[in-house]
Amino acid sequence: MTASVQHPPAEPLQELPPAPRGSLVKAELHRFRARRFIQVLAGIGVLGWAAAIIIGLFTFGTPTEADYAAAHAQVDRIIQENETYRQECLDDPPSDAPEGVPAEEVCGPPLTEADIGGVESFLGKAPFDLAASGTVGAVAFAGLASALAFVVGATWIGAEWSTRSIVALLFWAPRRMRVMGTKFGVLVAGATVLGIAAQVGWLIMAGILDAAVGTDEPLPDDFWGSLLQTQARGVLLVVLAAVLGFGLTSIVRNTGAALGIAFVYVVVIQLILGNAKPSWSPWLLGTNAAGLVMDGGVRLMFWDKVDYSADKLGQPVEYYLGNLQSGIFLTVVAVLLVGLGTVLFARRDMH
Amino acid sequence: MPAVVMEAVTKTYRGRRGRPPQKALDELDLLVENGGVHGFLGPNGSGKTTSIRVLLGLVSADAGTARLFDRPVPDALPEVIGHVGALVETPLFFPNFSGRRNLELLAEVAGVPRTRVDECLDIVDLRDRAGDRFKGYSLGMKQRLGIAAALLKHPRLLILDEPSNGLDPAGIRDVRELIRRLGRDGHTTVLLSSHLLAEIEQVADSVTILTRGRRVANGPVREVLAGRSTHDVVIRVSDRESAGAVLQAAGFGLSPFDDVRGPALAVHNVQAPGEVTRLLARHGHYLEELTPVHADLETAFLAITGEPA
Repeated sequence: MTASVQHPPAEPLQELPPAPRGSLVKAELHRFRARRFIQVLAGIGVLGWAAAIIIGLFTFGTPTEADYAAAHAQVDRIIQENETYRQECLDDPPSDAPEGVPAEEVCGPPLTEADIGGVESFLGKAPFDLAASGTVGAVAFAGLASALAFVVGATWIGAEWSTRSIVALLFWAPRRMRVMGTKFGVLVAGATVLGIAAQVGWLIMAGILDAAVGTDEPLPDDFWGSLLQTQARGVLLVVLAAVLGFGLTSIVRNTGAALGIAFVYVVVIQLILGNAKPSWSPWLLGTNAAGLVMDGGVRLMFWDKVDYSADKLGQPVEYYLGNLQSGIFLTVVAVLLVGLGTVLFARRDMH
Repeated sequence: MPAVVMEAVTKTYRGRRGRPPQKALDELDLLVENGGVHGFLGPNGSGKTTSIRVLLGLVSADAGTARLFDRPVPDALPEVIGHVGALVETPLFFPNFSGRRNLELLAEVAGVPRTRVDECLDIVDLRDRAGDRFKGYSLGMKQRLGIAAALLKHPRLLILDEPSNGLDPAGIRDVRELIRRLGRDGHTTVLLSSHLLAEIEQVADSVTILTRGRRVANGPVREVLAGRSTHDVVIRVSDRESAGAVLQAAGFGLSPFDDVRGPALAVHNVQAPGEVTRLLARHGHYLEELTPVHADLETAFLAITGEPA
């Protein structure tokens, strides 16, 4: 049955003024900053950074001339002892040495100071060596920040799905691609800030350690250029990690599932498969993360692929994974994940 | 220009994990004129929430058309969404943010002034607890915050899906009063989806009843009820047995019963109550009471859908 309903004439529908420009971006930025998880993470990061500085100040020291003299004496003694063994080896090569291999090769070259870590290794508290630690620290900070960024990226969109607040948001901003794009943009901005903060944190920490317990050795000429390049790649890695977390969680719509997949990936695929089939390493995310951020990339040895050519008889195949190649690989994976997550978000029924 | 029009909208959800596909909407028609409160009534799983999700662009229809204020949705939804406030099932907010913070974030998205947040918190009587975290709210407070969010845009169309869920009796009364008030303000059209028949009966001007994804009745509530009239009357007389014999002899069906007010007689299939009055008066029985038995919405609903709400 049907019947008509009579109501007083309604006022005509007014064209609404558009929402202020960037209102969605502002709202998402506010939400990003106000997220308890982000705030807790930032607090833990600052505490960890302060603790690392304090530990560094206690770990490194300012050795005296006497400390250096004692360390040099210890290094000389070890080198001398090794040389004595070596001479004995040369005079009387081992009976099980391969036939035709010269005694020099069997007994090895003379031991050098560098082979045993330098004289600093024999000081009770070695000074902080900025030249040696600069890029290493930048890589370490990039790695830690990337792990955090992955979790931030995953929870940023995962919390939306778990609370289904993204559905409520669509009552207000129904253009799904715009909503997803805004969330993505805010995440990239946040991850960039995180990556830069991590690298600035390392510079400040290194500066404090260098001033308090650093060596007097001058820095190499290309030190700052090389360090800044490593740090820039570190920031890029942090952003890519956040995007990977965001993309993966957009697809599975659950933070726990995304983190579980990431854990299984690292344990099963990266570690086990990476060791069992080293020749697959150039296609693994962890290897490419190292390839992107390490100064000059990484040189891989394919122990599962031996080179039997005349000049490399029995040697494993070497593979150079450069910064650019790794960056492109990680970017392509991140784009694919986010693209798939976005397409699914645009097409899915929302419940 | 109607607020809502749906024509022959069909939606089938894909079957998952071996379950067969489920047809949620089966060529559903829905017409909600501007102004007033329109009830949307149907048994669980009849497609009420799916219909609302189609209107809000959350679910894509397989066939048919849907329009809000004469704009096709979902294509033109961005043009009209500023006129539409909605509370669909459970309110969806960030649990660690306060109620006020949640509303402020939504207000910021649409460029609604912050003063409106406090106005809406006042409307739902939640201002005192607005600073508390959402996860600490009772079910009723969450529901009230959801209604406040739906009101933020000062909407022309307010879609409320089971707004009384979780509310205590006082809260239910307040929400119903609010809905009535909004329906009468000349600005707002309320589409009220509810499984509470009494709620629809109390506050709605018109109603659409659906079952298994199809519309089975619609129109003003009174007309829907009138279409299901019982033609029964209840009478009270001083001598029930004698009066009953007179009516029985005239061919009326009778059901005597007792209630707190004493003995009474239900007379069935009375086309004109005056017949009963005249007949009894001719035999010296004078009525103390004659009350037509109106069908309530529950009776009508059960008769129309053939299943419980």
